[in-house]
Amino acid sequence: MAIAKFRINGQNKQVDVDPTMPLLWVLRDYLGLTGTKYSCGIAICGACTVHIDGNQARSCVLPVSAVEGKEITTIEGLSADNDHPVQKAWIEQQVPQCGYCQSGQIMAAASLLENNPNPSEEEIVQTMDTVLCRCGAYPRIKKAIKRASEIK
Amino acid sequence: MTGVSRRKFIQTTSASGVGLVLGFVPGKSNQLVSGLSEIDLNQFISVGTGGQITLFSHRPEMGQGTYQSIPMILAEELEVNIDSVEIKPSAASQELYGSQMVVGSRSIQTEFEKLRKMGASAREMLKQAAANKWNIPLAQCHAEDGKVISQTGSTLTYAELATEAAKLKPPQNPVLKNPAEFKILGNPVQRRDIPLKTNGMAEFGIDISVPGMLFASVERSPVFLGKIESYNAEQALKVPGVKHVMETKRTVYGRERFGVAVLADSYWAALQGRKALKVSWHNQNLDKVSDRTISEDSLKAARLTGDELFGRGNPAEIFESSDQLVEASYQTPYQSHVPMEPMNATVRIGENSAEFWGSTQNPNGIRSFISKTYDIPEDRVNINYTFMGGGFGRRSMTDVVEEAADLSKKSGAPVKLLWTREDDQTQGPFRACSLNVCKGVLDESGKIIALEHKVIAQEIRNQTGDDMTAGRQLMGGINTDYKVPNLTVRGVLQKRHVPISYWRAVYHSTNPFAHECFIDELAHKAGKDPIAFRLEMLDHPRFVQVLRVVSEKARWNDQKPPDVGRGVAIAERSGAYFAMVVEVTRKNGMVVPTRITTALDLGICINPDTVKAQTEGSIVMGLGACYAGLNIEKGAIKQQNFNTYPLLRYGQCPEIITHIIESHDPPDGAGESGLPTVAPALVNAIFDLTGKRIRKLPLETSTI
Repeated sequence: MAIAKFRINGQNKQVDVDPTMPLLWVLRDYLGLTGTKYSCGIAICGACTVHIDGNQARSCVLPVSAVEGKEITTIEGLSADNDHPVQKAWIEQQVPQCGYCQSGQIMAAASLLENNPNPSEEEIVQTMDTVLCRCGAYPRIKKAIKRASEIK
Repeated sequence: MTGVSRRKFIQTTSASGVGLVLGFVPGKSNQLVSGLSEIDLNQFISVGTGGQITLFSHRPEMGQGTYQSIPMILAEELEVNIDSVEIKPSAASQELYGSQMVVGSRSIQTEFEKLRKMGASAREMLKQAAANKWNIPLAQCHAEDGKVISQTGSTLTYAELATEAAKLKPPQNPVLKNPAEFKILGNPVQRRDIPLKTNGMAEFGIDISVPGMLFASVERSPVFLGKIESYNAEQALKVPGVKHVMETKRTVYGRERFGVAVLADSYWAALQGRKALKVSWHNQNLDKVSDRTISEDSLKAARLTGDELFGRGNPAEIFESSDQLVEASYQTPYQSHVPMEPMNATVRIGENSAEFWGSTQNPNGIRSFISKTYDIPEDRVNINYTFMGGGFGRRSMTDVVEEAADLSKKSGAPVKLLWTREDDQTQGPFRACSLNVCKGVLDESGKIIALEHKVIAQEIRNQTGDDMTAGRQLMGGINTDYKVPNLTVRGVLQKRHVPISYWRAVYHSTNPFAHECFIDELAHKAGKDPIAFRLEMLDHPRFVQVLRVVSEKARWNDQKPPDVGRGVAIAERSGAYFAMVVEVTRKNGMVVPTRITTALDLGICINPDTVKAQTEGSIVMGLGACYAGLNIEKGAIKQQNFNTYPLLRYGQCPEIITHIIESHDPPDGAGESGLPTVAPALVNAIFDLTGKRIRKLPLETSTI
């Protein structure tokens, strides 16, 4: 066990856990931030995507020791009132079905648009290809990303 | 989630468990803190004296959208604005709600009339209460937007009427609205669960936390049915946080499957403990089974006559006398359900009470399983169902609950059991693999005169024991509406140690691949256009209409660009009729689908946007199953995770255009019906472009 300190959604946090424990389980089981999801555990599906110092990262393979002192944003901290342009577009286009992967989809899309407000289709594919959706919300994700870049 | 078990209703279920008698005990209401009351008009509808109307959705939500469409039906008949009502999940109670199982795209189909009656009955009670108050005949009152209005223009809100209305006897056969007057149904309505799914607030089974719970992870034999030989409990218990190591089991279609569980104070610790177990298994020679042995067995079985599942005329006679016999065999692999939320369950088994929390398609089944297994009365088994992170059939089973309950009983603590993705991927049960053998003969006018479709596969309903008779489940999705005068559908039952179960669209996900590809092969043999060939053999009005509409919308008869192929397929699933045209083109040396056009007739469409979403989802899942499949190696599943069993990705998704035929017929199922046509229409399109006939899934992309 070791104390890990970092900032999550604007708040200082510290937890006493096994330093090899992935950030995902620290978020979910110790900090009650269950919006970030587990699905593959090997950084392939993107359900666990969070932002670390402004860049998207896969929390399921990231030991908590690696985020010491860093600024982490989870889906819960993306906006105060579900009103981030990506969230607004997601609701307007009625993207989620089961909704399980959507935290990851939204965090990936938000990061993409943050760094590149008008991405080409190729650039969108490059990012969104890394987040899997079993319900098949892809056609709506496509429309919603376009809408989000307009709202912005 | 909240329960309405707080209230006592007079409830009776019919023998079939479907019909509910309308009724309630008057005078029971729920006091709210503000001094306002919430008055139940029946188990689906409650009216607050402060004006809030609450509608209860009684089927668990896994993405299919009934969380919104069930209240839409209630609101339509109740005459309230759907945007102003509150929607809540109902209690899990078979007594109050009948079956709450979500399978087979049935929720809207089977509940439509019942829900309309519930809405209409409450509306009529509110109208009667107003008529009594005004001392006028009921016929002089009408309901609109949460109010009752008299002919002279007097108005009372539902909130003002609820207390009196609740004292009235509910009409057993309330007048239902004429569908032509529907204001809500048939219009796209935004889903109330969606905002919860964009900010992390939606609660899934995996998110449950119960005081004092232990986290569990279970190591199971990769070779199904393997028995525990030895394991190192001592090493596992050395991992900080690990509390218990214990054997457990679950039952999958009558067979016991064993595992060793590690229980810990965190999930991560349970996983580390599990790695230290080093279980060795006795595999009883089942590790000799592989794709090769399965394929050999199937080919051998294909030579058997099998059991006739459907027949007319005398195809055998025609096959014997014909020298123009066309024959083709088609293969599909095992598939995994892969809900993005891995299987999990949180269970507390107490002395004389129990509780379940989690994602399930089958809340009633879980209650009855726990009640029977632990001899606890059903009314002391509390079921809390959450949103599901996908289901696709997998969450209709109670096997995961069985493990969690066993571990809770043995440890004395509430247990949250979470399967890893690898557990989910390798343990199954799976969509059955199949071999389909088709034979056909054309007459001199180029119509099919005789057809045989033989299915060689495992059957979900008959996986163990000695009975080798093929059942009708095996013929799901084989179209007997083509006017083929001599037709036989046959089944040769297979039994294997690989467990199978219901997977979205079930046998409709495999059989139509063979059937609609073979019809296409015969169309080409006859030198006819594939749509014209089908229309020539169809007089089913719904099939004819969807085919004509898809032909027009996909511009089937327009000149194709040289690098485009088009394929068509039709199918019926859950009462819904689908026609689909897939367009393919060459991209980076591969043939890929670029546009999928569908026409569908599923009767009255409750929420068209949800139907479109379900169609898109079915198509994506169907396409995924064309590009990936499971292999059996040494008696176990080879693919462990998404790195070897890829799901369809964002960039692979073609444009999808959905046309819903307007209809006032009762609703059919929307959740699966877009899936059966995907594989055959895609493969027919690939043939159209390349001249290459593919008869085995998954597609080997390197060869097309």
